[in-house]
Amino acid sequence: MTQDVEMKEQPAPSNSVPSSSPSTLHHLKEIASLIETGAYDREARRILRAIRLTMALRRKLKASVLSSFLSFALTPGSEAFTRLSSYLPKEDENEMEVDTATSTAQPPAKHSLPELEIYCYLLVLIFLIDQKKYDEAKACSSASIARLKNLNRRTLDVLAARLYLYYSLCYELTGTLSEIRSNLLALHRIATLRHDELGQETLLNLLLRNYLHYNLYDQAEKLRSKAPRFEAHSNQQFCRYLFYLGKIRTIQLEYTDAKECLLQAARKAPVAALGFRVQCNKWAIIVRLLLGEIPERTVFMQKGMEKALRPYFELTNAVRIGDLELFRSVAEKFSTTFSSDRTHNLIVRLRHNVIRTGLRNISISYSRIALADVAKKLRLDSVADAESIVAKAIRDGAIDATLDHSNGCMLSKETGDIYSTTEPQTAFNSRIAFCLNMHNEAVRALRFPPNSHKEKESAEKRRERQQQEQELAKHIAEEDDDEF
Amino acid sequence: MDPQLTEVSQMFERFKAAFIRKDFDSCANLLSQLKVLLTKFRSLPPLFENTPNSVNEVLLAREIYEHAVVLSVKIEDQDAFERDFFQLKPYYTDAGSRLPPSQQEYLILGLNLLRLLVQNRIAEFHTELELLSATALENPCIKHAVELEQSFMEGAYNRVLSARQNAPHETYVYFMDLLAKTVRDEIAGCSEKAYDYLSINDARQMLLFSSDQELLEYIKEEHPDWEVKNGSVYFQKAKDSAPCKEIPSLQLINQTLSYARELERIV
Repeated sequence: MTQDVEMKEQPAPSNSVPSSSPSTLHHLKEIASLIETGAYDREARRILRAIRLTMALRRKLKASVLSSFLSFALTPGSEAFTRLSSYLPKEDENEMEVDTATSTAQPPAKHSLPELEIYCYLLVLIFLIDQKKYDEAKACSSASIARLKNLNRRTLDVLAARLYLYYSLCYELTGTLSEIRSNLLALHRIATLRHDELGQETLLNLLLRNYLHYNLYDQAEKLRSKAPRFEAHSNQQFCRYLFYLGKIRTIQLEYTDAKECLLQAARKAPVAALGFRVQCNKWAIIVRLLLGEIPERTVFMQKGMEKALRPYFELTNAVRIGDLELFRSVAEKFSTTFSSDRTHNLIVRLRHNVIRTGLRNISISYSRIALADVAKKLRLDSVADAESIVAKAIRDGAIDATLDHSNGCMLSKETGDIYSTTEPQTAFNSRIAFCLNMHNEAVRALRFPPNSHKEKESAEKRRERQQQEQELAKHIAEEDDDEF
Repeated sequence: MDPQLTEVSQMFERFKAAFIRKDFDSCANLLSQLKVLLTKFRSLPPLFENTPNSVNEVLLAREIYEHAVVLSVKIEDQDAFERDFFQLKPYYTDAGSRLPPSQQEYLILGLNLLRLLVQNRIAEFHTELELLSATALENPCIKHAVELEQSFMEGAYNRVLSARQNAPHETYVYFMDLLAKTVRDEIAGCSEKAYDYLSINDARQMLLFSSDQELLEYIKEEHPDWEVKNGSVYFQKAKDSAPCKEIPSLQLINQTLSYARELERIV
């Protein structure tokens, strides 16, 4: 479950870190100025870029660099400054003495932008998490969330969404996720009231994660179905949403929907998010097995996933053959993996599919077979069991056969010529419809999204234009008056 | 001791006495009074306030609701069961860490699983199942319900029926009887599709009737399309999908036209 957090660490555009980079502090200052311009111009895009650049610097963050950045960005002696500095360790101060000196030499700029303050919180928080100082990180994140609640600026939304994410991560790492549930719900309400869609999206996912962490599928589904939905703002958040939705659907036995969600999540996830994709694939494999499908071998051979998917590969093999004994031994052999993946209960459900596959194989191979032999082949306990199991399979349409009770045998029906029915035609039709639909959706996706920024500009222009038109109309009217 | 707490526990003693006497009417009466009294405790869910007596109060409330659930089984009221169970659940999930575990917990969780199975609410059954820990799954009460669900899904109905004999607790019998009725309908549905005919004797055994008379009545009421002649039951076979004789021309024309329209849009 924790792997999919890694998804955030996408490789930032490589050109942003030239090899001749002067120092991390310098970069941080550049990012700070980016945030400033973003805040003044009200462009969330710039702030998003700032965060991406920060992620590239993540590995290079040091306590000394951070403390000098803090003194650059925040007013020394302000509340935020003292609080944040207290989280940073003070050991290696002499190492970066030069940098600190240069920064103090500059005229102390009086920044009081809330965006910058929140950014500092985010930076310190990331640093603390990377240093595995989870208790400090918890305190820091709680402080930042308390501060965020009092700020209502749209340019903050992007930063806030990130903070929520790390806030939840800190608590998850310390195993106290249930503590922040009500807090997250409150934040979600605030985000909804402020029309902060990115925040809503992030918080909804965090809440779902929170519920699913404790297997509270019922609550998760209730929240999900009631929460407002809108077009996704962030691909990562959408992927996660799909993954969580897929899990909920799987537990509730809606396998067709679940499969769609999980496969889509696996496809949409960025290539770097390997852990997340592995998780999606594991669940998708089980759901497909439960649906009676056998996943292709290529699914298990995806780059970097062979080892993680190995238990699922063997499981698939057992289901494919329809051997109950093999299935049982695989389930036992990898039981620790399955219970840590929390797929154990799903695998118990699979037993039924194994029997069905075995039965189908028998029904294809034999035109007439004694029920005692069926029981032996499927390794069932008694003939009576076999008889009712076969009867149910016939009713569910899994096999086409009849039972003869007095002789105790199963008679398979001759499979009729499928090409004399409309079956192939309908299959063909559904495939064509799928292709055409795919094409239409691709065309639709190529269109540009409505650009809110552009609209704002044109709104001003429109006002100007309208004013001019009104004046013109007045002139004309006056002229008309003059003529008469 | 707090006077309110004393009052409630005294009334609960009376309830338990009536419960042992199997005087279920006065039990139900006392229970509704108890529930009203419980609303006055501020330490119970959803408030969970920390009062000096909170542990005692929560423990007492939990025991009351546990008895309420068992009572609802005794008076065979499934709606009351569901209500009482949901009132009880927070005591296991949210207050569980602060209290000593209850002896009755797995028994009641198992009962609830069984109820969901009887009502054919399989999705909820699995949702509840996910909440249980590995140790809970080992408990005979829970295991019983889980195995029942599996046999039921597979179609091993006789295993479902034999499970009635080794029910882990007397309260389970009520639901097992309900389940037997569901199973009979399932078997009837399966037999209809799987067999051409069955001798009356076999059919009676398979559908778990003790006399031919009962079987004939059941057929008359539930499956009037079955035919009884020559000492056998003949099932009316649904007509197999015959090879297509006619070409569904209108449908084909519609489809072809829609392809043409879509292709035109692409080219």
